Amino acid sequence: MEFGWDNEHSGYRAELVTFLDKELPDHWHGETAILGSKANTEYSRRFAGLLAERGWLTPHWPSEFGGYDASPWTLAVLGEELWSRGEPRGAQYMNVNWIGPSIMANGTAEQQSRYLPPISAGNVIWCQGFSEPDAGTDLASLRTRAERDGDVYIVNGTKIWTSYGDVAEHCYLLVRTDSEAESHRGITVLLVDMPTAGLEISTIPGVVGDHSFNELIFTDVRVPVANRLGPENEGWTVVREALSYERVGSPRWARAAYLLDETIECATAEGRTIDAIAVEAIGVAKAACEAARILSYRVIDERAREVPPSPNGNIARVAMVQAERLVAEACLAIDVGNTLTYRSPSNYQLRKALAAGVAAGAYEVQLNLISRLHLGLPKG
Amino acid sequence: MDFHLNDDQSAIRDAMATLLTRHAGATRLRHLGGDDPTYDHDLERHLEGAGFLDIAEAGSANRLDAALVQEAISLALGTAATSSRLLIAPSLPEAIKGPVSVVAEGHRGPARFATDAVALIVIGQRDVRFVAPLPLSVERVVSRLGWPVGQLDDVPEGDVMIDVDPEEIRAWARIGLAIEMVGAMRFATDLTVGYVTDRKQFNRALGSFQALQHGLAECAVAVEGARWLSLEAAHYGTPQAAAAALTHAIQASKIVFGRTHQYCGAMGFTQEFDLHLATMRVVALRAEAEALGRPATALARQGWALHS
Repeated sequence: MEFGWDNEHSGYRAELVTFLDKELPDHWHGETAILGSKANTEYSRRFAGLLAERGWLTPHWPSEFGGYDASPWTLAVLGEELWSRGEPRGAQYMNVNWIGPSIMANGTAEQQSRYLPPISAGNVIWCQGFSEPDAGTDLASLRTRAERDGDVYIVNGTKIWTSYGDVAEHCYLLVRTDSEAESHRGITVLLVDMPTAGLEISTIPGVVGDHSFNELIFTDVRVPVANRLGPENEGWTVVREALSYERVGSPRWARAAYLLDETIECATAEGRTIDAIAVEAIGVAKAACEAARILSYRVIDERAREVPPSPNGNIARVAMVQAERLVAEACLAIDVGNTLTYRSPSNYQLRKALAAGVAAGAYEVQLNLISRLHLGLPKG
Repeated sequence: MDFHLNDDQSAIRDAMATLLTRHAGATRLRHLGGDDPTYDHDLERHLEGAGFLDIAEAGSANRLDAALVQEAISLALGTAATSSRLLIAPSLPEAIKGPVSVVAEGHRGPARFATDAVALIVIGQRDVRFVAPLPLSVERVVSRLGWPVGQLDDVPEGDVMIDVDPEEIRAWARIGLAIEMVGAMRFATDLTVGYVTDRKQFNRALGSFQALQHGLAECAVAVEGARWLSLEAAHYGTPQAAAAALTHAIQASKIVFGRTHQYCGAMGFTQEFDLHLATMRVVALRAEAEALGRPATALARQGWALHS
């Protein structure tokens, strides 16, 4: 056991920080830095291209798919530095973290050659068609149907809360291909090109910020069988593998710590007094971010060792949600005045914290898994 | 970055487990007086004899192995002043032998281990003083918070000024307290998980109720966070890492103390049940931690030039 960074990764971080210091300041303010905003999404396409030119968009991918076989720690450093500046990759972190790797692991040669190069070049956005009106936390109960008709699937159903559905070029879609099977079986992954005939997309304005959700209504949408990822009815296994490390793939604690810094800077720049209660709240929030960081590192260590996923991923995710919430509390304590202003860092953090326990798997589900798999408590 | 024990650390863990099974644990603590124990000179002697108390070399910045040893001692409810020896002593110019009490400058009142201490380490804002031997006999205080406690009313002013940065010593004191809290909190959480697994009400195990599961899962997350932050802090030894670890350990203690007692029900009120042996200690450690200067405030001030 030891916690130091080796030369390779500390050197990489230093190089990355130099690049970000140079690249971001002139373009990275206000609306552009609000994840999910139109300006952010537009900027992310250009920025991801810049990363790709340096081999930093998909450094962890195997060289045969355009990567550099870098360790999971490289990806962690990359994620940490980018999220601590508000995630200028925008939607693209999903592509590079798990959609691309899922296509590598399960895709045909044709799918790999078609979908992976645009991801590693940074000029494509994917969305994930998972949740449905009646299948949220209980995702496996999804009902969007795909019926085989020769060499196509006919898809009917509704997906909801689909981030970036309005701007994405592709959707990683979960559908039910066997309605008789037990819920976890009978699910299939389809890679759907967008837009496509029969797919209606409408935006659902949200309260978590500029970031909007979308509803995707599929009416007799024809998806070639060639676009199926992995075997029919085995989609649950495919997606579970893909997402197994995704609980720590988005270092939300790094963005929270960044917004805490921004909130303090705003308050001090305006000459506001930060009282003792707020100072204490800052310390507590900062420590929670640090705890989320070290618990995420433990999961990355597992990934680097290629050991099977463990409940440590759930533990890290819970710690991340707690850190987001504590930072929001601290921001409010620091600067009630600025919190009242939309787009202030504290107002933004408040909204992000609201979503933290829901996005990427409900907080309570993580607790269920920790109690059963980590503590060994009996099933209810 | 490596979260797994190396061969040496595994060997230390195994040897510690053997020693602590024989010379520590809840039964041993009860023999010493339970929640009002006497100092365990016997345990200290065995740890000393096996070389565990000098595991961190003098001057070494990395005291991770020492922190692992302390965690094992705390998990086994050891009752000796080992964390100062393991984590602070390597920063001191001269070796310390025997129990030491660590207090903040200006401290007046009860202090852990003061009745048996051969010396005091007094951590000030600008300096660190080493007071030895203690000039007067120290009166014992009944605290019932799981530690031998003595009343320190007359700390001599002068004595030896140690040529060391007080922030370095405060950092190691904080890391020691954090890892001690982690050990005790792990004991309390493990015990409670066992209790609610065995205890049946409404024809089912209490631990099968989701309300308790969620509460204990949050305890586990908090303790794991404090644990890894403490171990990382022992690796780096920086004031920031130390303050973060102790801040998080204190936050964890707030939920672990309340929830473990709540979930163990009336059994948790009894002296017969081991829970209080760990939880009351956590309260004493928290008090000691806050007395060294609130770590959350320190952490906030280390990160930003805050004025209030």
